[in-house]
Amino acid sequence: MIGFLTLSKREVVRFLKDAIDTIAPPTISVILFLLIFGVGLGSRLGDVHGVPYIQFMTPGLLLLAIVRNAFLNPAYSLFQSRWYGNIADFLVSPLSAEQIALAVLLGGVARGMIVGALVLAAAWLVTGVSVAQPTWALGYALAVAVAFAGLGCIVGLWTRGWEGVGAIDTFVLDPLVMLGGVFYSLDMVRGVPIIEPLSALNPFTYITEGFRAAMLGGAEAHVLIGLVLTLALGTICIGAALVLFRVGYHLKA
Amino acid sequence: MRTPAIFIEHLHKSYGDLVAVDDLSLEIQRGEFFGLLGPNGAGKTTTINAIVGLVKPTSGHITVLGLDAVRDYRRVHRLVGIAFQELILDGSFLNVREILVYQAGYFGIPPRRARAKADELLERFGLWEKRSARVQELSGGQKRRLVLAKALIHDPEIVILDEPTAGADVEMRLQLWEMLQQLHAQGKTILLTTHYLEEAERLCQRVGILHHGRLVSLGSPEELARERGQAHLEDVFLELIRSEQA
Repeated sequence: MIGFLTLSKREVVRFLKDAIDTIAPPTISVILFLLIFGVGLGSRLGDVHGVPYIQFMTPGLLLLAIVRNAFLNPAYSLFQSRWYGNIADFLVSPLSAEQIALAVLLGGVARGMIVGALVLAAAWLVTGVSVAQPTWALGYALAVAVAFAGLGCIVGLWTRGWEGVGAIDTFVLDPLVMLGGVFYSLDMVRGVPIIEPLSALNPFTYITEGFRAAMLGGAEAHVLIGLVLTLALGTICIGAALVLFRVGYHLKA
Repeated sequence: MRTPAIFIEHLHKSYGDLVAVDDLSLEIQRGEFFGLLGPNGAGKTTTINAIVGLVKPTSGHITVLGLDAVRDYRRVHRLVGIAFQELILDGSFLNVREILVYQAGYFGIPPRRARAKADELLERFGLWEKRSARVQELSGGQKRRLVLAKALIHDPEIVILDEPTAGADVEMRLQLWEMLQQLHAQGKTILLTTHYLEEAERLCQRVGILHHGRLVSLGSPEELARERGQAHLEDVFLELIRSEQA
């Protein structure tokens, strides 16, 4: 247990010691989104689903911050350790493959939740948004962080170069999230070519809608559908990450 | 009969068509100072990496103090400390002392004991003044000593050193030899790979010479020299390698 806790601590200390590069930029970029799209353009849109647009987009932006940071931390940490060779420090220790995987995953969850908390605090200051169902919203945010930290573990093991993590971030996560209802609901894009079908097919749309319902108060069915999708994604990602760690994929020759 | 420290039986490792280790069988006794010699690409690093589970054998098997190196890898790792040839140090955000404290933690040593053990090793290896420094601020010799300290943080019974004096100047090499002799005197089993035959002759009780992944000679440096009618291990080594290449 001490070994597992030590590695978990390392994964958290790694990004906290470099908070200017890891915590500050995503928090600031989401605050800019809030100010430009919410306060600026949003004020001309009026209410969306009964709430001001800036409050409507807050859950999506919060999710965006959690997803990206939960993903990036394990992806970069694992690849960095592979690149510099210090992954051997863990691999020659008595830590099991599962303990290593879980500790790296926890680092991602911690970063996702810390950035999420900072973004929520900023959103509260800017928009006065409050959380309607705190327990559901927190559980939901945790489930999303775990799922995408699992994806980060897979990418951190899979990639052969630094650009691999960036490529997944740009070509997979960005479209998934941007076309996943962060800035709009499915109702708002009815009949819009390309955007509507892509959004309707995108599972992240239902994850965002569920989180929005948990945060702003909304249909329970939305919360449950999104949560089920998140848990399914998390199960697949963590399962795959554990298999890769067990077989020593890109870890053992 | 005592269980050997390391028992390697018909180890074979290939990467596609490249055979790195070819049917290697070897027994290293407890408390022995053993040297694994060979030219570049002979299979030395592959062999020691297989012992600690960083290389998956294609076939054959390895036991460490009677424990299967694959099945019981977690218990095996408690018994073995390894200092890699590359100066691998988790220095992107940890200082010298933290590197040792974290490494102790991975081995399940509680924080207070980990800090005490780290401080003891920093003193012993002449790194106390550098305890708050970043790895990038260390000289090559200091990094080499830190790598060795890291391998010893959990007080392993078996110490594996992959080319521990590579790139070291004469003074540092002598210091490292003295440290290794002290470890051996404490009862540790030591497996050393080296290119320096003088080093092997001076430190090792027995040596194994690998060439193209095969064990081509095994015995004490004196025995090997006597059998081949040579004065030094270096002459034996060169004769063996040349005869293998012929």
